[in-house]
Amino acid sequence: MDQSQTSRSTQSSSLERWLGAATSPAVSALVLSFLICAVIILLSGENPIRAYGELWSGATTGAGPRTVINRGIPIVAMALAISIPFRSGIINLGGEGQFVLGGFAAAVVAINLDAPGPLVIFVSFLVAAIVGAVWGLLPAVGQTWLRLPILISSLLLNTPARALASYLTKNYFADPAATSTSTEALPASTRIPTISWLSGASASALGVAVLVAAIYAFNRRTAPGYQSHISGINLKFSEYGGVGVSRQTILSMGSGGAIAGMAGAHMILGQSGRFVDYDLVGTGFAWTGLLVALLALHRAIPILAAGLFFAALQVGGLAMQRNTGVSWQLAQVLQAVVILALAMQIAPRLWRRRSSADVASHDTDEYGSATG
Amino acid sequence: MLDQLFDGALLDSVVRAAVPILLAAIGGLICERAGVFQISLEGTMLMGAFTAVSVSYVTGNAYLGLAAAMAAGMATSTLLAFGHVSRKGDPIVIGIAINLFAVGLTSFLLPQFFDVRGVFRDPAIVGLETFRVPGFVELPVIGEALFEMTLPAFLSFLLIPVVWVWLFRSPMGLRLRGVGENPSAAQTRGVPVAKYKYAAVFTSGSMAGLAGAQLALGNVVQFAENMSAGRGWIAVVAVLLGRAHPVGVLSAALLFGFAEGLGFRLQGNGMAVQFTDALPWVVTLIALVFARRRFIRLVDLTGSAA
Repeated sequence: MDQSQTSRSTQSSSLERWLGAATSPAVSALVLSFLICAVIILLSGENPIRAYGELWSGATTGAGPRTVINRGIPIVAMALAISIPFRSGIINLGGEGQFVLGGFAAAVVAINLDAPGPLVIFVSFLVAAIVGAVWGLLPAVGQTWLRLPILISSLLLNTPARALASYLTKNYFADPAATSTSTEALPASTRIPTISWLSGASASALGVAVLVAAIYAFNRRTAPGYQSHISGINLKFSEYGGVGVSRQTILSMGSGGAIAGMAGAHMILGQSGRFVDYDLVGTGFAWTGLLVALLALHRAIPILAAGLFFAALQVGGLAMQRNTGVSWQLAQVLQAVVILALAMQIAPRLWRRRSSADVASHDTDEYGSATG
Repeated sequence: MLDQLFDGALLDSVVRAAVPILLAAIGGLICERAGVFQISLEGTMLMGAFTAVSVSYVTGNAYLGLAAAMAAGMATSTLLAFGHVSRKGDPIVIGIAINLFAVGLTSFLLPQFFDVRGVFRDPAIVGLETFRVPGFVELPVIGEALFEMTLPAFLSFLLIPVVWVWLFRSPMGLRLRGVGENPSAAQTRGVPVAKYKYAAVFTSGSMAGLAGAQLALGNVVQFAENMSAGRGWIAVVAVLLGRAHPVGVLSAALLFGFAEGLGFRLQGNGMAVQFTDALPWVVTLIALVFARRRFIRLVDLTGSAA
């Protein structure tokens, strides 16, 4: 019996777990994507080593860490929002609409509610969560009542959501002094403070940390968390096992929508300070969040890591654009290539802890150890 | 009011809006018939649009741009063909990744190649010329809308009967449907299943590339970041709504073209731009609600995908 066989039967050592993580499909897909993008940089006539050097220093030096955390907040939150239905096998492409309407609702509340600052912030997030949840529930109800596929209907609702927020802003909440379609600026008391010990990043980072911990605990320690995971693996099995799939669809889309709405609220109260038409769509955070959720296989802690990593790629990418001839959209290319490499399973696994048949289902391995 | 709204010019903008959707949806329906869920039409179309504009700009020949766009579409669809058919990857995940990959890559290459951001407009980009069908173009109302079009536009309408006959009256079409409906039975009968799926995905890639070329060299003569603007997704819905039948897909594409054309017209009459932006999507949703009994298979498909 060889080494790997013996170790499989016992608890894996920390070195082994570290090696397993460092050579997981996600990490080797990342390495492969960096290589592919290096070729793209070469083909466009630039030096990939210099470009990646600028990318690294842009994300790690000066204002880099603060910007990475600030950008990571909405990306991680959107990834969490998408991961909740995604874990039970529902792909929600409507994150963008929930994000935009949440942001719009938060701006309206923050401008018009006359109350102490912290209370206004609380109510703004609450209303944003409700609005996001309602927008997320529309496709869920469509699937459970009318059998419209969520994959399609959630996507189709994005443009109407943006148009609705834009219409209401323009006709009822517009700032006459602004050149673009936008609301008035929020009162200073409703702005989310920054934290000095977190490189001066927004305090929303703490909210995201709590959310990650809560979703982690929900997934690993509660019956509904386990049930949604089973639905994700095999919907029919889960239905026969007595899981109320319709109820699960409604609840997961509603809570995902609520988180997306709060991510939108953060964008207004924590960053821009007013709702500007198209700004939230233009960030692409909803779609980056979707890629993060796919990369992290809808698990909470990996989402935090992958979300901050993608945020760092984007922040570093902007520095790279300033200092070299390589434009920052390379970061977007890289993010998509990672998912392609992962979905196609083309990145070689460098070190195998288990038989190759298990490689394809490395997520079940994580859950299996937690629930077994 | 109504007779001001519905005239030859409206028909013209309906056809104009429908053609790119139709071109992409024809490829999508062939994929659907071969049992491959093709949702990367959006990104493939965008790659086609970028390639068409680049090649037309460099060579000064719109038809070289067209051919290059089809090749680029085919190259993009290799990701889906290889990833899904050979590597058994999830077509939904691969499709979403291709769409975002295309947005990223074209926005990245735009400043690298042409030193502009956002929109690339240049007199050196040669657009597609329109052809007139003598004898028909003089017809009142419909004449100019239906008989004065670009080559891909004529092609899109001609392909409807061609695909119909090929799909339902030819041995190859029968085998393709067999591959989609029951791959193991087809395999047993000696049909090379993987080859048929590859061919279907490549066809859809080149058609979506052509749709992008029509968009960037026919409807307008420029490239703008993310200019496909959801049309590829609407083509996906057109395939579902039209039950992957050529006539059904044509009707669906015309419905969406009508929504877009009408929105464009209403905007000219003072309707809020937000309303006309949302109109095609809302029409699509309403059409889905009315045709919902057709999607039971898809609900199962997406319900168990992870």
